[in-house]
Order: sequence, then C-alpha cells, then structure tokens
Amino acid sequence: MSTIAAKAVASSLEGRVLAEAIRELGTTHVISVPDTNLRSAIDVLAAWTKPNVMYVCTEDEGIGINAGLYIAGHKPMLLIQNNGLYACLNTLKGIALDAQVPTFLLIGQFGRDVTKTAQENPKRMVHRLEPTLETWGVPYFRIDAPSEIGNLRRAWEAAWNSNGPSAAIVGAPTR
Amino acid sequence: MLKQEAIDLLAKHRNGAVSVTTMQAAAPWHLAGQTADRHLEASGCMGSAASLALGLAIGAPERKVIVLDGDGSLLMQLGSLVTVASQAPKNYYHFVFANGYYESSGNQPLPGVGTYDFPALAAAAGYAETLRYESADALDRALPSLLERDGPIFVELTIARDDAPPRWAGVPMAEMVRKLKHDLAT
Repeated sequence: MSTIAAKAVASSLEGRVLAEAIRELGTTHVISVPDTNLRSAIDVLAAWTKPNVMYVCTEDEGIGINAGLYIAGHKPMLLIQNNGLYACLNTLKGIALDAQVPTFLLIGQFGRDVTKTAQENPKRMVHRLEPTLETWGVPYFRIDAPSEIGNLRRAWEAAWNSNGPSAAIVGAPTR
Repeated sequence: MLKQEAIDLLAKHRNGAVSVTTMQAAAPWHLAGQTADRHLEASGCMGSAASLALGLAIGAPERKVIVLDGDGSLLMQLGSLVTVASQAPKNYYHFVFANGYYESSGNQPLPGVGTYDFPALAAAAGYAETLRYESADALDRALPSLLERDGPIFVELTIARDDAPPRWAGVPMAEMVRKLKHDLAT
C-alpha cells in the first residue's frame, strides 16, 4: 500500500530572504511578540543592528510603541502571529484605525496545515484570520510562496499610504 | 491629594516635556492648558498610555516624556512595566493617578486594591527609581529634581476619590497624532 503526500498549498520562504525583504522596506524597528512560524526570520533580524528588533510583552503594547515611534519620525512595524492579532483588537481599533497610525503587521499563520488553504484549515486561529481582518477593514496580502515576497512591500505601502493598518500574512513556516 | 492638585503641579513643572494622558487625567490636563503642544491623549485604547509614551521616548530621546496614567489603565497592560524597564529610557517619567477606582465608569473598585503595590511592582520590573507621593506639598517639592534625574522613573500619586461626573477632552486622537508628529519634527 502506498500513500500519496498531499501537495502543499503554501510553501516556505527562507528566513533570510524574508528578513532581507523587511530590511529593504526601510523599517527602523521590528516590534515583536515572536511567532513560531517566523522564528528563522526573527533569528536573522535579531543578529543585525538595523532594524532594531524589540520584544514586547503583548501585541497591545506593540501597537502603542509602534505609534509612538511613528509620531517621533521612525518607520516601525510589528511581527506577530495570528493569535496575537486576536489579542490586540481593541488597540488596533483605537490606535491604528481611529487614530490613523500606519501600522504594518507581519503575521505568521501559526498552526496552519500547509496542504490546505487558510479557509479550509480546521483551526480557528488559521481560518478566522482573514475574516477578522476583513471585519475591521484591514487590507491584507498573502505570502504563500517565495514568489509572493513582493506582497510584503505592497502591504507595507498600504499602511503608509492609508495612515492605518495593513497586514502581510506568511502562510507557511520560514526555513 | 486631589487630582486637580496633581494636575496643576505637573503642569507647573512640565517644562516643555512631551505629555501623554489617558482616562480621567486627560480632561483636567486639557483644561489646564497643557494640550496645545507636544501632547497626546490615549483614548479608545485603555491601557496604552505607557506604551505610546515608550515609543515616543525611544523615538525622541532628546526630549523628556511624562505619562499621566491611571491605576485601572496600568492594570490593563501591567506587563508594560517590564517592557518600559527593558528599554530603560532615561527620558521617561511615569506618573500613575491612583485612587483605587474605575473612575470613568462610576467608581467601581479596582481588583486587588489595597493588596498590590505599584511602586514595588515597578521596582521589581526594573525601573530606575520608584516613588509614591500622598500630599501635594511633597510632590511640589520633589518634582523639580525628579524630572532632572535619569529615568525610567515611576511615581504613584495617591489621589482622593472623585465623584464628579466623568469628563473627556473631546479632541480626536487622530488630530493629536498629526499635531504631535508636526511638533516633534519642528
């Protein structure tokens, strides 16, 4: 008896490629409650002096610090996981949306079965992410394959062009 | 001390510092004429004043940043004490108006009031200095030198219960963000 491996819908980026793409955005600070799926990218970023990687206790704090840095003239971003978005919805509403602060969220799809689309994944933390962003009117861009790395910049520019939040969603663990 | 006494003393000794207010410290600070320049109010994001101020302090290290926080607000994001201390901003001064109540919603008691100790928590988190003032006279005497020392400094202000209806400054936060960004760029 043989088994046929399910084909991946989302494939892995190299952590270094993602980290370099982040640096090329010109971001000054990466504020993070770390995501398991993005750890290889975090490792690369943390080894550099720029951008400055800042670990925080909660995503709420991250959105506040992001706003303070933005007001002071910097170009920060957040790196979190899907569960982290759910944890900070009030702050996303109050600061990123109502106070009109560019808030770029790089979100890892922690817990995703990469052989299924996000919508088909049984875990709520995965399949509720995009609907949650849509509910709050947050534009998002998927990075489900190395060829889609250009969506990182599209998402970044969406935040800065709208003075509000935007998200890039990394669909598979970085390697 | 009365909330208004603390507000007046902080205004008297502010000396150009960037201010961040929240909840029931915000309207009195506004009425004291302190919000026209270099000011941000955390509204619609209870608990975020300390984090907003931390971003400002890191981003503009040449300026002093004072936070007028509330005890209920701080409890909502208590981990921010650790995050502030981890960054150790020397220009960060964290004043907490502590009356033991959720004043905005009708003076319901805070959980754990009388058992927790904010200055001890801040000290354990790693603030450079932590203090508590119960009288306006003591605060007035302390502020000039306090604001010349290196932060982060945490100050609990023991504030009397206020049964007046809650007041709000009424200025949209987006407007204050734009204004403060302009102020810090010039």
